[in-house]
Amino acid sequence: MMGRRVRPVLVCSMLAGWLAGCGESPTTDPEWRPSTGGAAARGRLVVERVGCGVCHVIPRVAGPRGTVGPSLAGFGSRTFVAGTLPNRPDVLADFVRDAPSLVPRTAMPPMPLDRDAARDVASFLHTLR
Amino acid sequence: MARSSIIDDVFSGLQSALAPAGPNASGIAELSWIMFAAAAVIFVVVMVFLAAAILLPPGRRGWLSGQGVVIAGGIVFPVVVLTALLVYGLALARTLVREDTPDTLRIHVIGEQFWWRVRYEREGEGDEIVTANEIHVPTGRPIRFLLTTRDVIHSFWIPSLAGKLDMIPGQTNGLTLAVERPGVYRGQCAEFCGGAHALMAFDVVAHAPADFAAWREAQLRRAVEPATPLLARGRELFLAAGCGACHAVRGTPATGSIGPDLTHVGSRRSIAAGSFPNNQGTLAGWIADSQHLKPSNRMPSFPVFSGEDLRAVAAYLESLK
Amino acid sequence: MTATVHKTPRAEERTGPAGLPNPAPRPEGEIEALKHVWRAPKGLNFITVVNNTYVGLFYVGTAFLFFILAGILALIMRTQLAVPQADIVSQGTYNQLFTMHGTMMMFLFAVPAVEAMGVYLLPNMQAARDLPFPRLSAYAFWAYFFGGLAFFCSLLFQVAPDTGWFMYPPLTGTKYSPGINADFWLLGIGFIEISAIAGAIEIIVGVLKTRAPGMSLDKLPVYAWAMLVFAALIVFAFPAVILCTLLLEIERAFGWPFFIAEKGGSAMLWQHLFWFFGHPEVYIIFLPAAGMVSMMVPTIAQTPLVGYRLVVLAIVATGFFSFGVWVHHMFATGIPQLSLSFFSAASMAVSVPSGIQVFAWIATIANGRLQLTTPALFILGFLFIFTLGGLTGVMVGMVPFDWQVHDTYFVVAHFHYVLIGGMVFPLFAAFYYWTPLASRKPLSEKLGRWVFGLMFVGMNVTFFPMHLTGLIGMPRRVYTYPAGLGWDWLNMTSTIGAFMIAAGVALFLFDLVRRFRITEDNAGNIWNAGTLEWLPSGDYANRSIPRVTSREPLWDQPHLAADVEAGRYYLPNAPTGGRETIVTSPITAEPQYVVQMPGPSWATVLGAFFTAAFFILLTVKLVIPAIVCAVIAVGMVIWWLWDTDPGPAQATVDIGGGIRLPTYVTGPMSHSWWAMVVLLMVAGTLYACLLFSYLFLWTVSPDVWPKPDALPELPWPLLPAVLYAASSLAVVLASRSLRRVPAGGAGAAGVWPMRIALAAAIPLVVAAVATDLAAQSGTGLQPTESAYGAVVYMFVSLQGFYAVVLVLMGVFTLARSLAGKLDGVRRGTFDNTMLLWHFAVVQGLVGLAVTALFPRLVGG
Repeated sequence: MMGRRVRPVLVCSMLAGWLAGCGESPTTDPEWRPSTGGAAARGRLVVERVGCGVCHVIPRVAGPRGTVGPSLAGFGSRTFVAGTLPNRPDVLADFVRDAPSLVPRTAMPPMPLDRDAARDVASFLHTLR
Repeated sequence: MARSSIIDDVFSGLQSALAPAGPNASGIAELSWIMFAAAAVIFVVVMVFLAAAILLPPGRRGWLSGQGVVIAGGIVFPVVVLTALLVYGLALARTLVREDTPDTLRIHVIGEQFWWRVRYEREGEGDEIVTANEIHVPTGRPIRFLLTTRDVIHSFWIPSLAGKLDMIPGQTNGLTLAVERPGVYRGQCAEFCGGAHALMAFDVVAHAPADFAAWREAQLRRAVEPATPLLARGRELFLAAGCGACHAVRGTPATGSIGPDLTHVGSRRSIAAGSFPNNQGTLAGWIADSQHLKPSNRMPSFPVFSGEDLRAVAAYLESLK
Repeated sequence: MTATVHKTPRAEERTGPAGLPNPAPRPEGEIEALKHVWRAPKGLNFITVVNNTYVGLFYVGTAFLFFILAGILALIMRTQLAVPQADIVSQGTYNQLFTMHGTMMMFLFAVPAVEAMGVYLLPNMQAARDLPFPRLSAYAFWAYFFGGLAFFCSLLFQVAPDTGWFMYPPLTGTKYSPGINADFWLLGIGFIEISAIAGAIEIIVGVLKTRAPGMSLDKLPVYAWAMLVFAALIVFAFPAVILCTLLLEIERAFGWPFFIAEKGGSAMLWQHLFWFFGHPEVYIIFLPAAGMVSMMVPTIAQTPLVGYRLVVLAIVATGFFSFGVWVHHMFATGIPQLSLSFFSAASMAVSVPSGIQVFAWIATIANGRLQLTTPALFILGFLFIFTLGGLTGVMVGMVPFDWQVHDTYFVVAHFHYVLIGGMVFPLFAAFYYWTPLASRKPLSEKLGRWVFGLMFVGMNVTFFPMHLTGLIGMPRRVYTYPAGLGWDWLNMTSTIGAFMIAAGVALFLFDLVRRFRITEDNAGNIWNAGTLEWLPSGDYANRSIPRVTSREPLWDQPHLAADVEAGRYYLPNAPTGGRETIVTSPITAEPQYVVQMPGPSWATVLGAFFTAAFFILLTVKLVIPAIVCAVIAVGMVIWWLWDTDPGPAQATVDIGGGIRLPTYVTGPMSHSWWAMVVLLMVAGTLYACLLFSYLFLWTVSPDVWPKPDALPELPWPLLPAVLYAASSLAVVLASRSLRRVPAGGAGAAGVWPMRIALAAAIPLVVAAVATDLAAQSGTGLQPTESAYGAVVYMFVSLQGFYAVVLVLMGVFTLARSLAGKLDGVRRGTFDNTMLLWHFAVVQGLVGLAVTALFPRLVGG
């Protein structure tokens, strides 16, 4: 029931996301395409739809502001994911899909995301500076 | 784009009284539109009179200035219009309150701070079904909701299907309705019931009769056995942490009845009474920090698990399809 | 505050026409004496002032302060709701915010504001020197002031009520609301309701008994009619809410289960009692505002109101109908269809009188020529908004429609249209219209247009979308909502509108600070209005009290203002040397006597302070300090009353025109007798509500009612009955022998039979209550075991309360006799004590009959 439609306020976010996306560093993953504003905006909607906010404080995302996991404010500027993995878009996309496979002791469960959705989420998270 | 979105929200919104999906809500929606139209006409006429009283040249507004207009506009007109409206409205109300027929499906909904306990009366040889926050119904068959409360006053409201009816301590209120087409309709508590009143919603999922029978069949089953070591560990932790004191999972030692029955919790669309999507992540977050997410709900936060254990419990619950 | 009146010649330029009651020029020093008698105290003592013009302004100002505070709460809520799932305030805070917003707007702003305008305007409109009980209005104001501020402060400590302004049990019971938040509401508001009742008694007696000679009921300003009906509604509606708050507080404090279903109580009892008050409450707020509009419309159109009689009839009819519609707040509770039909029909009917008034105003505007001043703008805005609110009111009166929109934003939109349209806009019109009475400069017309524009557009931008928000599913009282249901943009629009309203109010405040100045020289009759409040006036009100011959005396009696100011009319002086005004007959307004009124006293301010302190300390469970404050408060009231009931200052005084009036009367002609009778109506209504509760609880849970053999044996109830009757008889005997005590004959032996009889009545009434209590507890009945026990002990407790009051009043009356302040003529105090005595005894007998006979009738 969340985010069924694009609203004016979203347009602003899209713009912001696109601007932020421009500054992103290229990745070494051959499959990886540089993120676009569209991906980040889609990612934001995915974040709302699957309820990442239940555990995390995430700027610009409507929904709960959980404190079970770390805040994701400024996530795009972080060096590591979960304190151990390099904060690269491809790694992050894998992590948000299935964290335990990368960090076995993590509290973060696998999330119901397909590969594309996970990449969108990663794009969005990298816009959080 | 914005305009079509507004119209969509009104006429096909999940929770809109103007997007009826059954005879009760349609009857009321029809009454609503008639009243809106009549009110608009009356309002415009009164404002035109007022404008005439101010703007017409003094010689041409004498007809407006006597007691006659007060009697005609203030007494005669409203009495005629209101009488007609009242007759129509009361006749409609009578058709909306109906008695049971033999094929009526009887569903008990019990309001609790801040969730809905749902109990289906036994039909044929099947047992009764207990679930929470999600009501599955068949289309094209009268459904009677028997509404009670375990604590304070709540109000049961599914705008697309019918008007609301309160749940009041010491009495059982009955609401009969029917659903015309399959779909998901959102409902919400409409009477302020304390702290987390805003987070007390539910979904009504209407199925074609055959699909409903299948759903019913599935709900009658006991909880599935864990299929992996992780899930088995999750069940072990679930029981060890004392979750069973409040929650029941049929087929396990967990038989609590204070909180929602979790036998098929993984099959539901949302958790915490329509508050969050249902997946391993949100389940884990809810278990660890329910008081922060939905303050003053009756489930304590369980910040006792290690990360892996929390995941195991969440995975186990999600597996209970 | 002397006003110059336009378009009339100055007094000195005219030679006195024959036929006016008093010759002019008036004797040297007369006006100085009048000024001296009515002057406001200086310095710190100024707060003890009792003149209605000052108390009325304090009252209006305080109500406006609460309007702004409650409005700020609304802005915080609107900010939280601007976007879905915002995080501006927490859930707990939001629940306090909406509860406080509703409660404050209803109980601390709307009702006090209209009552305050009445205190300020009524005596002026009726050319009385003051309201008949100046100290009572001062007490009512200060009680409200202290109590209201303390109540508001609960929010600052996060202990404000958080269960919605209609406080439905069982949510508000101790089980689900264990904190003191709910107690703040029950004690704080219960107490402010008492202040409202004090004001209502004052207004009823004021309208009926202190008018300008000749102002018969058919010449009474529509506003005074509206205030009369307003006060009557308070008298008959507020006891219901006082009773239910009392029952709930007793349930919370002592566990008497009035509203707990498991013990035979009923949550619906609360709803019936609350809405029996709650719906008339809407008209309590609206009628005075409509009355003000009926005063302003003729002035801005410069022509008399069309359909005066119809409008008065409409006001009275509204009053009656308003008691027949309370169930329309309960359509969704599962009440049987037949009752729903009745209440639905009544809800339709109540809209007819409003239609009459709307068309009367339109006809008046058509008949005259509208001047588009700021008050006129606010009135046009009122007509626009209120008509819309009335139309949606008809919609929610339709049962099936209400099932959908009840408790949604549609209803929020509806009642804001009715209340902001029906009350706030007229009040702002009134602020602009009557400011020239109080201030040297009127408010700015230029800024006024902006204030109106911002408020009018803001109001519609805020609340019109809410109709749709509710229809597409948003319930009221939610601190957050999910995105994706189409509610987002509607809420954002409403929030923008709310800030527009706030900007309008802020601009109004700016203008007020800049231009509102209370000085000797007010702006006067700048609108060329026709009613008496526009006569030149000072602290003493009018120089002389006119005789009026029409509804718009200033239009029809051309030299009236000048003659009044020259002292040519009645009572141009202070013949008894104290404050006084003319008391007139209720229908034809012929002079009956000159009432001597008390002046400023610290007793009212301190009494109100300690009364408020008692209630607040009780809320925070500081019982001992609370009791100390209660004792001090009672002491203050006794001190205040000791100066009243002055006895005749002289046999008669000459008010002019050959009329000589007594300066003291007792019995049915006296204003004090009328006030007591109105108070007994309040008490009687309270008791009727308790009887209703008893019967209602029986219909819900007859199973907790005892079998006849579990009741006290039949002789038992007879004993208290006999004791009650004996105490009343003793009071009758005391009254007879008091009649034989000559004036000033307090020292004579003849006073002793009266004293002995009265002294005997006191223990008799106490014994009656005690034996009643003993009989009930003798059966082993506990108030905590069932709703039956609770309601039976409630009957006894209420009698116990009256016994305490009667003891206090009896001892007070005896003390006055011993002090030589009570005799066959000067017996007002005794008469009031006697009235209450008989009332309490009759009530006690009814209670005994019900508790003893009803279970036997039904339990056979």
